[in-house]
Amino acid sequence: MIEFKDVIKEYPNGFRAVDNLNLTVRDGEICVLIGPSGCGKTTALRMVNRLIDVTRGEILINGQPNDEFEPEVLRRQIGYAIQQIGLLPHMTIRDNVAIVPRLLDWDEERVRQRVDLLLDMVGIDPGIQGDKYPRQLSGGQQQRVGVARALGADPPIMLMDEPFGAVDPITRAILQEEFLQIQQEVGKTIIFVTHDIDEAIYMGDRIALLRAGRLVQYDTPDDLLALPRDDFVREFVGTDRSLKRLHLISVRDSMMNNVPCCDDDATLQEVTACLDRHHSDSAFVVDAGNGKLLGWVERPALVEYGSLSEAMHHAPAASIAVPEDATAREALSVLLSHSFDLTPVIDAEGVLTGGVSIQRLQDLVEEPGIHAAMQRERGR
Amino acid sequence: MIAFLGGCFASFGFFFLPVIEVKPNRLASGLPVGLLEIPGDMRYLLLFLLALTPVLLAFMGDRNRRGWALAAVGNLIVILTLYLPALAGSAYLVGAEALFEAGTRISNPRILSSAAIAFGLAGGGVVLFAGLLDLEGCGVPRLVRGLAGAVGALVVVAMLAGGTLDVYSIMVEYHSRGEALALRFLEHIVFVLVALAAGLIVGIALGLWASRDAKAEDAILYTVGIIQTIPSLALFGILLVPLARLGDLHFLSLARDWLLLAAIALAAALALRRLHTRLPERARQFSLVAVFILALIPLSLLAVLIIAFGFEVALTVLTTSELALLRSVTGLALILFLILISTGKRLDLERKLPQYRRWRFLPLFAAALGALLLLAQGAGRLLGNSELAELTIRDFGVSGIGTAPAIIALTLYSLLPLVRNTYAGLKNIDPAIIDSGKGMGFTAAQSFFRIELPLAFPVIMAGVRNAAISLVGIAAVASIIGAGALGDFILLGVNSTSIDQILLGTVPAVLLAVIMDAGLKVLESLLTSPGIRQA
Ligand SMILES: Nc1ncnc2c1ncn2[C@@H]1O[C@H](COP(=O)(O)OP(=O)(O)OP(=O)(O)O)[C@@H](O)[C@H]1O
Ligand SMILES: [Mg+2]
Repeated sequence: MIEFKDVIKEYPNGFRAVDNLNLTVRDGEICVLIGPSGCGKTTALRMVNRLIDVTRGEILINGQPNDEFEPEVLRRQIGYAIQQIGLLPHMTIRDNVAIVPRLLDWDEERVRQRVDLLLDMVGIDPGIQGDKYPRQLSGGQQQRVGVARALGADPPIMLMDEPFGAVDPITRAILQEEFLQIQQEVGKTIIFVTHDIDEAIYMGDRIALLRAGRLVQYDTPDDLLALPRDDFVREFVGTDRSLKRLHLISVRDSMMNNVPCCDDDATLQEVTACLDRHHSDSAFVVDAGNGKLLGWVERPALVEYGSLSEAMHHAPAASIAVPEDATAREALSVLLSHSFDLTPVIDAEGVLTGGVSIQRLQDLVEEPGIHAAMQRERGR
Repeated sequence: MIAFLGGCFASFGFFFLPVIEVKPNRLASGLPVGLLEIPGDMRYLLLFLLALTPVLLAFMGDRNRRGWALAAVGNLIVILTLYLPALAGSAYLVGAEALFEAGTRISNPRILSSAAIAFGLAGGGVVLFAGLLDLEGCGVPRLVRGLAGAVGALVVVAMLAGGTLDVYSIMVEYHSRGEALALRFLEHIVFVLVALAAGLIVGIALGLWASRDAKAEDAILYTVGIIQTIPSLALFGILLVPLARLGDLHFLSLARDWLLLAAIALAAALALRRLHTRLPERARQFSLVAVFILALIPLSLLAVLIIAFGFEVALTVLTTSELALLRSVTGLALILFLILISTGKRLDLERKLPQYRRWRFLPLFAAALGALLLLAQGAGRLLGNSELAELTIRDFGVSGIGTAPAIIALTLYSLLPLVRNTYAGLKNIDPAIIDSGKGMGFTAAQSFFRIELPLAFPVIMAGVRNAAISLVGIAAVASIIGAGALGDFILLGVNSTSIDQILLGTVPAVLLAVIMDAGLKVLESLLTSPGIRQA
């Protein structure tokens, strides 16, 4: 746990970069610091491992003030990754990752195993890339090594200052996803600086929005989007905050289970009854044997052709349906592009499990903090 | 094209300029002889024609064959340019009396190499170089090319050793002065190395300081820059008086005064640290400067003593024959260490061979121990005979003329490239690299030795090479204040208009510069991480 208690930082020129910051980062959580350029994110971050001294107030690490440690001892227990990566160019990739373990005097065999493990974890082949030098790697690979190095001696806490800031958007998205997977495994307590609100929403368990050295709002991503405290926050998260919230919700959480649907061997009467029951003009058609989505059928066609097999539209499930683990935002995209009222949802096998409607999504984003509420409910 | 020029150059020399001069004695001016004027056989004409062939060969189509032909011709020109005139020269010497007007004093008549030989050697070298370039273009392996390039030089060395070229007057001089030359050469080397070592310590420290402290930055860089502009003669002169005074002092009394001074400086520094916060800003700065100067006096005294004494000891160690065994053991241990470290890096022994990690520094310790023994022996030899009470500073090698002012001046001159390059090398390191190191928990010292120094190393080494080469040159001037070294020959030669003596001093100096540069380059590439080596 990391606690900022009334922390103030005044630079020698009198400039107050961090003003009375109170913030608690819980164990195993990613706390994202975000805010406009110059708002004091980096300053706040670097005070944790004492690269910058606190002017007033204190920072507690697991309850202990961080100035009770020797700075070097403290820093070796805290992972540190920065935008410029800062790999040591004269050392091989392995040696770079081994830096902190060696500073801590681990024996070589243990260091070697740890380095192999970490490089594997971040998707760098220790056999092929390990003995190369940083300049022989691409920017994205260097970022991975930077993350591996920060994880070097398995520190409980990590400080990351725009760690994916220097790569192209596609690589960044990949790195973000991979890092979240790693975090699932290692469960570090992380302070993560970014100025990219999408990154903050995607990566953060909690987001701390700073402005001119002051903490404006500290909330989960969903609450930040749903309940912006003031105009500054509203403007900062952007006018598309509803869309962003959809991004946070999975289809599984937003779909309706009860949708009009019939087996492909159903009779005309059965299909009509189903449509009537749902007050709908169309229904999905699934395989009577295994429940896989085959296509859909509309009332006018049924009337015209008189049998389901002739009236139904066949369509590959992947082109009209969204998977359960997609985000609500993807579901919206499919809804918009097919002009359906209801888009079918399928599981990994292609079995129809429900559907998502525009109306449903609208309800979701209108309801403040519903996602958080739902999660709380599920947690219970 | 290059070969064409080389051929033209060599044949131009052979056609228009004298190859040798026959001198009746050491002082009189000689009788110039052109290559084609040498009577007798056709060999000389052949050399001239040979020098012309590259002009034609340059137009040959097949690159591989052209390369080999040019290399062969180039080597041959170099060899024959030295060999044939030597033959002719011996012939001239036999009948020397007949060549000169009656009444010319003939004593030790000699053969002076003349301009055409220089043209021939240079031209031959260029042709050879052109040939090697061709061969490189054809993908001939490096080793083969190296051998092809070295043939001429090897034959020349063999001829030198075998006495074939002894007829040239420079060789005559060499044979009569060989022993003195070796000693002066050694002196020269030690001069350069001692000054370089002292310069390195001071230079890196100053460079580091300048890179860390924005206030001191300008002052340091300007000061070392200005030192460079003082003519070396003037610097020697300036140092003469204070060092002469210093030399007269008794060792014991100086030691007492020194301790006193150092104690005062230390006390002042400690007191200032205590008072620091309580003093007003002005007084603080003033007293800081005062303490600094106070500390500088004992420190520089100590440095002068150590450096001058170090030189004397080094020379004693290197020239005393009883120490030969210890010397070679120490040298071997050092070489072993270098081999071990460089091959170990290359073969990645650290990981493959656990013992390597433990034992790799052993030879270094052996070498250090040997060096320590040698130094103790040398120091004992220098000071052993005199009573402690009678020892003057002069016994430590410090006096107004001679080695002390020379080495101090040389050290000062080496500062500019060393400070500037250290400063630039450290300043140019990406701050993010240092920041990430600090963030991972490197201490300041670890950061300097494991990050900053390795990264600045190539730039610092460029400064070291620069300093080494210029020191070789400036060290020659030190002879004027009686410091010895190769400058002795050059001065003598200038005074007696004896080109041979001048060459005798110059050629080893040039060789020394070239070898030091090459050696430092090798050292640099061995010690520079492949991660930062220029691709
Ligand atoms: N050494 C310093 N002396 C004086 N002011 C400083 C110093 N370092 C930073 N500042 C100021 O403190 C403020 C906060 O800086 P900081 O680096 O923490 O910003 P940031 O939020 O990380 O910005 P960015 O998103 O651009 O990285 C800035 O206005 C900066 O100008
Ligand atoms: Mg920043």
